[in-house]
Amino acid sequence: MFRPKLLFTSLAALALGACAPQDPQAVTSAALASQVILPTYSQWVDADRQLAQSALAFCQGTESLDKARADFLVAQKAWAALQPLLIGPLAEGNRAWSVQFWPDKKNLVGRQVEQLVAAGGTLDAAALGKASVVVQGLSAYEYILFDSKPELADTARKASYCPLLVAIGERQKALAEDILASWKRDDGMLAQLTKFPNQRYADAHEAIADLLRAQVTALDSLKKKLGAPMGRQSKGVAQPYQAEAWRSQSSLKSLQASLSAAQTVWNGVEGKGLRNLLPSDQKPLAGKIDTAYAAAAQALNDNSKTLTELLADPAGQKTLDVIYERLNTVHRLHEGELARALNIQLGFNANDGD
Amino acid sequence: MVTDMWQRSLSGLVQRLAGSIGLGGWRLVGNPGPGALLLSARDDADGGHYAVGYRIDGSLAFSTPVAQRCHAIVEHPQQPIALFVARRPGTESYLIDLRDGRLLQTLHSRHDRHFYGHAVIHRSGEWLYATENDTTQPGRGLLGVYRFVGERLEHFGELSTHGLGPHELAWMPDGETLVVANGGIRTEAESRVDMNLDAMEPSLVLMGRDGMLISKETLAQPMNSIRHLAVASDGTVAACQQFMGSGDDVAQLLAVKRPGEGFMPFPVSDEQLLSMGNYTASVAINDTLRLVALTAPRANRFFVWDLDTAEVKVDAPMPDCAGVAAVQGGFVVTSGQGRCRYYSAREGQWLGTPLALPSAHWDNHLHVLAT
Repeated sequence: MFRPKLLFTSLAALALGACAPQDPQAVTSAALASQVILPTYSQWVDADRQLAQSALAFCQGTESLDKARADFLVAQKAWAALQPLLIGPLAEGNRAWSVQFWPDKKNLVGRQVEQLVAAGGTLDAAALGKASVVVQGLSAYEYILFDSKPELADTARKASYCPLLVAIGERQKALAEDILASWKRDDGMLAQLTKFPNQRYADAHEAIADLLRAQVTALDSLKKKLGAPMGRQSKGVAQPYQAEAWRSQSSLKSLQASLSAAQTVWNGVEGKGLRNLLPSDQKPLAGKIDTAYAAAAQALNDNSKTLTELLADPAGQKTLDVIYERLNTVHRLHEGELARALNIQLGFNANDGD
Repeated sequence: MVTDMWQRSLSGLVQRLAGSIGLGGWRLVGNPGPGALLLSARDDADGGHYAVGYRIDGSLAFSTPVAQRCHAIVEHPQQPIALFVARRPGTESYLIDLRDGRLLQTLHSRHDRHFYGHAVIHRSGEWLYATENDTTQPGRGLLGVYRFVGERLEHFGELSTHGLGPHELAWMPDGETLVVANGGIRTEAESRVDMNLDAMEPSLVLMGRDGMLISKETLAQPMNSIRHLAVASDGTVAACQQFMGSGDDVAQLLAVKRPGEGFMPFPVSDEQLLSMGNYTASVAINDTLRLVALTAPRANRFFVWDLDTAEVKVDAPMPDCAGVAAVQGGFVVTSGQGRCRYYSAREGQWLGTPLALPSAHWDNHLHVLAT
């Protein structure tokens, strides 16, 4: 009689353990890592693999310039979607700059690509890894495909750019694969966002804080990416060449991809996002953030013009003002009310200059 | 399982620290319990400012509300009191009784002066020197000299720091010579706005406490503001910087002046320097282990190197890592955003252990009560 009872008790304990309510922050962090972040990083790896292949094919003459450009745009979009998810290794050690160099106030991208090409010499992915971050990433790739187009029609000129184009494709592919592999390691980001405590996060609250911080940083950066060409830092004088990805006219598309990814962190997959962490008395705030995302997305979706076109006429500038204001609302809600509601302190010492 | 290990190691830590770090020649009345006393400026979630003392096991010794946000803490060598120094451009520093957190005195800066966040007390226990700004000539670096009369401080006079915008100062091992980090930036009263980024003059000054200049040295980059200091028992000075230049420039954010040598960059790799966000908050030296620790809160990164060989011991993510202080076996690090941690080597591997202290809102400096 004794043994079955003991067995029953053990089984009941196991069953109860399995059903025990887990820390919602740990559940959310783990869900965002596996359902949102990891798939987005995987898409980035796929896009960069295609980019590497595309560079080779274009340079071997088996792929058209149009196809090469389309593959670049996919990679640029995949990178834009990562912006609100820049935590862990990709956010450290200035690695993000070697993927995309922005802001580029002095046209370093154009100048350094031309210098490198003019210098000749062997240029492969390994050599590129030791070169300036300015020429390692998507910005340099974009320059070659979009800004030097008269030269690309000339076979000899195309041949002079091709080693760099191929090297960038290889470098980006290797970088993306390394980052994804590091996420999946035993002690990698996926594990660190799932099991607590660990060497990165003392508890799930720190992980959620890191996710929100990445989100807020990205939303602020979206404003800067729009504000710089709008002239918000230059007395209202439009600066179209200060935009991100202006050469490929994909500035607004990139903003859209970043905003959409930020919204996914907010909503989560199957409701397991930051939104789900708000206590029930914070429903009005959740509603405000939903509305703010919808309004910002709407403003971007309703527009079919490029950033350069919008900057060129007063009506377009008004459209940009609306987009900016709506992004600003999303950003402020995250930085202020959402952070407070989730009891997250953002940047207490980080910006104080003492 | 991980949690169990964590709790075990925490309890071991508390025992070790309790055994090794006493509370000086006096006892904390009404605050029994093990652990070193950690002193810091801290805020609450609503922005209220406090002078706090916590034991390392997480128990609260005191939390005294204060009107202005404080920065560094300087402890009296004989009495159980400490001054919580106003963060720039604050005008009130608070003398606190460490036994119960009682506010003994609000020390007001003089007219046309404000505090810069740091001070030291002479080993005699009689004199306090605080870095101050002369707001009639913004940036002209001063040491406000104060004298203890019983448990009160009285203003006595002023000395020049021989530089602009002084920040941290510290005693050299002789206890008579001061090392001063002149940040090189001019700021007005009531303001934290930089006025001279195109003409900064940072310097590391050694001076007698009588005011006499002994040496004045600079680093190569004028926009590299020398801010914080730690001094080893052999007289090695570590200084950490905040770089006001471009984000893609490599700035020497950690520098060292060894006995008999010039002031020079500490050998840190460019990759590490670029990963600090051009900003360091606090530096500490563990004399027993000969280690130097550095916090880089903008980059959420904590570092430890061997002070003599520059071997990297720790290069770890830590959200808004703020104050750092040496304790037995390693360092305690506080955070403006997350949990505080104890970093130590276990079987040769450096690991961080979260502490049971309240999370977030810790200011950039931590003082552990010395034995």
